Amino acid sequence: MNRASNRTFIYYILAAISIALLVLSSTGKLAPFEGVMSDMARPLLLGFSGLGRQINNTFTTVRDLRTLRTDNQSLQSLADTLTIDNLRLKEVESENQRLRELLRFRQLNPTYDFRGGQVIARVISKGPNNYLSTVTIDLGSEHGIQPGMPVVTERGLVGRIYKVGPNSSTVLLITDPSSGVPALLQRNRLVGVVDGRAGTPPVLDFIPQEGDVTTGDLVITSGLGGSFPKNLVIGQVVEVRQRDYEMFQQAVLRPTVNFDRLEFVLVITNFKPLPGQPEEMETVG
Amino acid sequence: MSTAPGPSGEQATENRPVSRSFREPTPRPGQLLGSNGLALLGLVLVVLIQATLVARIRLLGASPNLLLVSTIAWGLLHSVGEGVVWAFAGGLGLDLITGMPLGTSSLAAMTACLLTGLGRNRVFSNNIWWPLFVVALATPVYGWIVLLTQQMRALPVDWVASTVHVIGPELALNVAAMVLIYPVLRALL
Repeated sequence: MNRASNRTFIYYILAAISIALLVLSSTGKLAPFEGVMSDMARPLLLGFSGLGRQINNTFTTVRDLRTLRTDNQSLQSLADTLTIDNLRLKEVESENQRLRELLRFRQLNPTYDFRGGQVIARVISKGPNNYLSTVTIDLGSEHGIQPGMPVVTERGLVGRIYKVGPNSSTVLLITDPSSGVPALLQRNRLVGVVDGRAGTPPVLDFIPQEGDVTTGDLVITSGLGGSFPKNLVIGQVVEVRQRDYEMFQQAVLRPTVNFDRLEFVLVITNFKPLPGQPEEMETVG
Repeated sequence: MSTAPGPSGEQATENRPVSRSFREPTPRPGQLLGSNGLALLGLVLVVLIQATLVARIRLLGASPNLLLVSTIAWGLLHSVGEGVVWAFAGGLGLDLITGMPLGTSSLAAMTACLLTGLGRNRVFSNNIWWPLFVVALATPVYGWIVLLTQQMRALPVDWVASTVHVIGPELALNVAAMVLIYPVLRALL
């Protein structure tokens, strides 16, 4: 067998295995295996993710320091003394701030039970492969997490649990093209569906043509369909697309959650999506 | 096919011997990264870096695909067959970490990696622009296969928007990543 036909043979064999795995994985048959593997990879992911955060923080700190030096010439000597402490404390402070905001959100929403989770790997929109907008969190079925549970931050809706492993879960973000969130405009209660878009901001779709939508309108979850709780903030209208020849108008949204800077999220654990919702899609482990 | 004795007494064939630079390079024993163990370690690192660190890099609204670039560089520098095998293994690892259905990235990366077979033993195979051309060709192939698998799983896919807003920026970033990765791998292999 020559080199070209040899590699074609290898390709066909591996492609057949890939397709078989794809089918089995899509139908949930490999869930136990995937759960075990994701558990094994978890410490490595945590390590690398922490490293990424450190690099990010270092760059941020360097930027901040440059600004401080320019603005505070007279405090130069004091700043030098405090720089080392500052580096260490900045991380703790920002973490503390985020946790306080999450706590405040929890206090303002006493009807929900929350579990806090740290993002350990991110596939934010065009993440590792650019085609799936998910994040992985360090909570799984052992912590009571189930597919379909809504995920939020203090700023608003993040998405919903998509896959659950024993100690980790995948969250499908509202920016993913396969995500659809029943929503309404807070001002006049006009209903629609927030759809994710590939590479562009999400869109509030299916708004009646005669509906009054303006830039700046706040969009919240409607609770219709039973897949998400009511009144979770999703985003703000930044552009209205109305064409006379279309049945519905659309509104482009700027999500209130900054998906590029997600570090901590809350999972609403006492909200169960109604039967038939996408929460029954896939379960790992 | 006629044969005639060569100047040194060995049999020369009608097919003139291909110059060393146009042959697929064979690793010498002990070469750095020549062993499969080291290559596997490198692959695991690539997958972990892709899933954690590279995902934080957002340029033009996308992130580079380190796995695709690495396996294509490997396929070009080593052999297509090995590139395909590494693409399969790396793709499985990436799918396990990112929550994609197992086999999606493998299938896409392997098929894209097959493109490294184009132009082998041809004059332009040693051209400096060749790896950039191959990765520019492979990125859309990778992307469309991923989109196809999503469509086959009954997920809504916007082919045009995905091509313009995801594959386009990713292509530019992958070409840029290849400029960095290819010389490093070539020096190591």
